[in-house]
Amino acid sequence: MGEQDSGRKHLLPLLAIGAIASACGIGLGLLINWFPIAASEEAKPIDTLWDVLLIVSVPIFVMVQTIVLYSVWRWRMKPGQELEDGPPIHGNTRLEVIWTAAPAIILVALCSYAYAVLHDIEKAEANEMKVRVVGEQFTWTFFYPGSGGGKELASSQLYLPKGKAIRFDVQSKDVLHDFWVPAFRQKIDAVPGITTHIRVRPIKTGTFPVVCAELCGLGHSVMRQSAHVVSPGAFDKWLADMKAKAAGGGKPAGGAAGGGGAAPDAKTLFASGASPACGSCHTLADAGANGTVGPNLDKVLKGKNAAFIQQSIEDPGAQIEKGFQDGIMPTNYKDTLQPEEIKALTDYLVKVASK
Amino acid sequence: MEAASATHGADVGVHDEHGHGPPEAHRSSRVEPQLLGMLLFIISEVMVFGAFFTAYFFIRVVNGDQWPAGGTELPKLVALVNTCILLSSSLTMHWALESAKSGNRFGLKAGIFTTFGLGATFLFIQINEYWHIGFAPQDHAQGSIFYGLTGLHGAHVAIGLTLLAMTTVRAFRGHFTPEQHRGVEVPGIYWHFVDIMWVIVFTTVYIL
Amino acid sequence: MAARLRAPGLIRAGLFVVLGVLVAAVIVTIARAAYGFSNPFDGADGWDVKFQDAVLTVGLISSGLFFLVGIGGFDYWFYWASGKPTRPEDHSSHGATSWKDYFRVNTDHKVIGIQYVCTSFFFMLVGGLLAMLIRAELAAPGSQFVDANAYNGLFSVHASLMIFLFIIPVFAGLANFVIPLMIGAPDMAFPRLNALSFWMLPVGGIMMAASFLAPGGSFSTGWTAYAPLSTEVPIGQLFFTIGVQFAGASSIATALNFLVTIITMRAPGMSFWRMPLLVWANFSTSLLVVIATPFVASSQFFVLLDYALGFNFFQASKGGDVLMYQHVFWFYSHPAVYIMMLPGFGIVSEILAVKARKPIFGYRMMAFSLLAIVLLGFTVWAHHMFVSGMQSWIRIPMMVTTAIIAVPTGIKIFSWLATLWRGVLHVDTPMLFVLGFLTMFTLGGISGVMLAMVPLTIHVSDTYFIVAHIHYVLFGGSLFTIYAGVYYWFPKMTGRMFDEKLGKLHFWLTFVGFNATFAPMHVIGVQGMPRRVADYPEQFASWNLFISIASFGLGLSTLVFVYNMVSSWRGGARAEANPWRSLTLEWQVSSPPPIFNFDNVPTVVGGPYEYGVPGAVHGIFRPAEEDVPTEAEPQAVPAGESGRRDE
Ligand code: HEA
Ligand code: HEA
Ligand code: HEC
Ligand code: CUA
Ligand SMILES: [Cu+2]
Repeated sequence: MGEQDSGRKHLLPLLAIGAIASACGIGLGLLINWFPIAASEEAKPIDTLWDVLLIVSVPIFVMVQTIVLYSVWRWRMKPGQELEDGPPIHGNTRLEVIWTAAPAIILVALCSYAYAVLHDIEKAEANEMKVRVVGEQFTWTFFYPGSGGGKELASSQLYLPKGKAIRFDVQSKDVLHDFWVPAFRQKIDAVPGITTHIRVRPIKTGTFPVVCAELCGLGHSVMRQSAHVVSPGAFDKWLADMKAKAAGGGKPAGGAAGGGGAAPDAKTLFASGASPACGSCHTLADAGANGTVGPNLDKVLKGKNAAFIQQSIEDPGAQIEKGFQDGIMPTNYKDTLQPEEIKALTDYLVKVASK
Repeated sequence: MEAASATHGADVGVHDEHGHGPPEAHRSSRVEPQLLGMLLFIISEVMVFGAFFTAYFFIRVVNGDQWPAGGTELPKLVALVNTCILLSSSLTMHWALESAKSGNRFGLKAGIFTTFGLGATFLFIQINEYWHIGFAPQDHAQGSIFYGLTGLHGAHVAIGLTLLAMTTVRAFRGHFTPEQHRGVEVPGIYWHFVDIMWVIVFTTVYIL
Repeated sequence: MAARLRAPGLIRAGLFVVLGVLVAAVIVTIARAAYGFSNPFDGADGWDVKFQDAVLTVGLISSGLFFLVGIGGFDYWFYWASGKPTRPEDHSSHGATSWKDYFRVNTDHKVIGIQYVCTSFFFMLVGGLLAMLIRAELAAPGSQFVDANAYNGLFSVHASLMIFLFIIPVFAGLANFVIPLMIGAPDMAFPRLNALSFWMLPVGGIMMAASFLAPGGSFSTGWTAYAPLSTEVPIGQLFFTIGVQFAGASSIATALNFLVTIITMRAPGMSFWRMPLLVWANFSTSLLVVIATPFVASSQFFVLLDYALGFNFFQASKGGDVLMYQHVFWFYSHPAVYIMMLPGFGIVSEILAVKARKPIFGYRMMAFSLLAIVLLGFTVWAHHMFVSGMQSWIRIPMMVTTAIIAVPTGIKIFSWLATLWRGVLHVDTPMLFVLGFLTMFTLGGISGVMLAMVPLTIHVSDTYFIVAHIHYVLFGGSLFTIYAGVYYWFPKMTGRMFDEKLGKLHFWLTFVGFNATFAPMHVIGVQGMPRRVADYPEQFASWNLFISIASFGLGLSTLVFVYNMVSSWRGGARAEANPWRSLTLEWQVSSPPPIFNFDNVPTVVGGPYEYGVPGAVHGIFRPAEEDVPTEAEPQAVPAGESGRRDE
């Protein structure tokens, strides 16, 4: 090409293409609904941050993309050019300054914005409700302050009042876990030896998954529970029941019956009720469960008696099925299941095993 | 292994004089390749210690547990004596090298041999200290990092001793001339590094 | 026969491995006896698992070292140390005459380079095969083929092989072949150390791959091996802990070798500002390796001590500190991600200049930006720990430094674009992969910058968004440059041309398959699918099925590459000395280069990328007079000639 072609004349078409492509890109990016339902106040600023990041990033990517494609289209070697060379351009200080400064400015701006968001979602609030979250392989237990600084109340289900500021104190009994409620956009590791915190203000009622996001062993993928956001009224009632039971020496509510109560159906307990559900680790045809983390109960329970099964549930470590490790089956069913629930499960398993 | 490399480098030159190997490369720097190699190797060694000191920092400072763990005492005095032993071995090492340079064979042999002896003594006293110190690495994290740091250093002394052993053998077999003494110089550098490292370990673990 | 057993080589190595295990057994027995533990032999009832684990632990270390002795990696130094006369450096351990020569200790950097590349690609295939199994398992919710334990093993070994046995060593391999040629040196500074560092690779790699045979299954804590989990899982974990030590020692040794070579062995006239950018890139990378790698070694020492000897580095109940592991680990492993990218940057600069027939735009800024990345790389490690529960203030400085790294990287991207501008683009296979890299790495890098933004990372950390980022930077970034480099130097390495058609096919299949596989991961990640799970909720089923199918296509595309390489090496057309009309020195000698690279060391008289400058040359082959005019006649010695002399 002629040396007088400074390359400037290519800028306009490039800008045009770039602008259009970026517009499409951004449009698409904003159309996709990326996030799970936003059930906490913290979710809003984070989702906005994401949109901003998209709006900044897409043009950058598009620019690189466009220049590459345009150059290939425009300056690809044509027959006869085999031995030609391009113009010996060694650099251009002005350009280099620009493309050092521009990204730097963009990035500093983004960081300041991100910092503001972070500060906003993490600031402490007046009269927060404290919930102590304890992770262990492979289940979460949630502790609520007892009446008058009394003994804490344990629950395997996370109940939260809508609209109240909540502070989670996260701990771990064994290895690293990570307490994550995608609908809240908040996540923090549960670290042995220290207590970590996150703050959340739920703003939508409903049931949302609680996920363990840090690899913690065999059961990591089944370490899922539910967070129930309910109206303040319902929450107080639930808490009252809990206290009542605690006072009545009964075990805290768990399992299918959020409020405890009527004799539970063992099959649902096994398949989904208990948390984590037995079925997530054990195979049991009758309950339609096909977990592979623990022993296949259809096989191993043949000829086992009720006493053994009850022990296996309440204290799994007592006897270890060979080929499996100790400390994988949760040890807290004793606390999170009602005695009658355990009874029901035991009888049920005996029944299934015997047939 | 890298240590061996640096020492092996010591005689690439020798062979190239035979003209068997690759043609002599152009020297684009005044630094001797094998000295530079040993230097870089020492840098990465320093980083290994760096990692162990990080662990020490977390266990002692970040966790703020008392040091040394409750009811245990570190034998400062023994360690001090041991430090002097190791430092003096650096001097004898230097003597050996100087003698090698000036072609004083007795000085070379005596120097390298005493260095070896002193190093061995240091190691022996260290092990003996472990025996009587009264806590095990299994007892608490402080124990772990104490054994970790001193043990890591002990391991380096051991490596240094093997290098010195080689050099001693060769010295007594009449190797090394005033022109060709890198086989003394390079292990020497390593040995000085091991000494300096000990001074740091000693001050942080025992004194501070 | 006896002679063959005593001669260094694979047979002796095999024997020594067995020997190593026996030695381990003896050591363990004695030690246990000393501490009053039971041994199987002294009539203790039944087979003692603890004893077995102990032997495995010691055996992994000893057999690894014994293998190196057996293969002959140390012979020379043993002779030397014992003061025996050392066998002078003859040609028997230089150059390769038959494929067998690649299976013994060889001190020729060209042979070692090829050994490196082939070995690491083998492990890439294995790692890829594991990835295929991962995708098969994830094709649908619930458990298909493997149980939870096997799955955790799959991605752990997949990642460890890809990182420690593929990306890092394959770059070292390419550099090993090219760098001495590029700087006009006859070989590396420490040829025997070079050989040794190669032979440490198979040790580490086979250890990791073999972990699947370990009692209790392979190591299953991810390539990050977070404590305390990694101190409590079955013995397979140690195959990682110890395997990494070998891989790490190997890359430290190589890096040291590169630095010394680059500093002390450059051809006359090759000032630092006349070095090709690949040399600059490996110079920077080697700095990273020498300084950072000891940290991963140490982190695994800690795990080993906790695991095998009951130390308490990470036992919170005994005053240990769990987060310390992550700090030490990431202080290596973030720089490691640049160890896995900078050499790629170098390759891109080489190829782009040649294929665009233009000088690299802003050569000096390219070099400086590399050094800037090296420096910044050490200041950002905690961006992997934004949700780890560390002191929360650390997140802020780390967020800023992390974001700022985009600036030097940006300088490189933009300079490459400017190099394309108005060039004469030869869009063949190597160039295609370079262009693919430019776009894909930008995307991966940008998702990285998003991850630097703490509030967002709080949501997407440990999700498939991370997995997407990983693969966009490592596959779309590193691996694309590796493909480009392998195609580009294939003629020089083998003396044959590869099949251009198959090359293009490979690129397009890979490019499409790659995006189809990993782009959707961004979406399911943000939607809330955690990583490292064998089972996932129904809502992600359709995307995962799509991803799995795409990934199988991606797998097959790799086979096209493998076929092309193998068949072209055996039957490809002979390559001339300088098929790409490149100026850098490695192309001025025959393909493959003569046994000692240069019959007389060249003199460098100009920059490496003076394309389009009339009559410019980089190096000339006659001894330089005092002040050589920069516009000496192009390529004083016609490239082919030295080659013909060689044959
Ligand atoms: C080749 C490897 C590689 C490379 C080069 C990078 C590059 C970068 N990475 Fe990545 N990263 C990994 C490999 C890599 N990463 C891996 C393996 C993990 C997961 C580890 C694990 O947990 O298993 C990870 C994880 C990871 C995290 C942690 C996520 C988490 O676990 O919570 C973060 C967070 O900050 C991050 C950030 C970045 C940034 C900012 C860059 C930057 O260097 C990118 C810079 C490049 C660009 C930005 C593009 C080009 C620039 C321009 C075109 C200029 C204009 C651009 C802007 C103004 C934005 N990475
Ligand atoms: C350079 C690094 C690299 C490369 C190239 C790849 C390549 C691939 N990776 Fe990998 N991956 C990582 C590095 C890499 N990965 C890392 C660091 C992690 C994080 C692990 C962790 O969480 O700890 C990860 C994790 C990871 C996951 C997440 C696992 C989880 O978190 O649960 C997944 C899931 O889809 C995945 C898939 C793939 C796929 C489909 C490919 C494909 O590109 C593979 C393409 C296929 C091939 C290249 C092989 C082709 C060959 C054949 C089909 C036959 C071979 C024949 C023989 C061997 C005889 N990878
Ligand atoms: C996170 C995984 C997991 C969950 C959830 C789980 N188990 Fe288990 N279970 C195991 C493992 C692993 C074993 C084998 C090791 C052992 O015996 O403790 C086991 C063992 C058992 C055994 C003894 C089997 C034998 O022959 O030794 C019974 C009975 C049992 N589980 C019942 C249950 C019931 C009932 C539930 C639900 C209330 C449940 N498990 C939930 C993992 C789990
Ligand atoms: Cu608990 Cu993952
Ligand atoms: Cu990083």
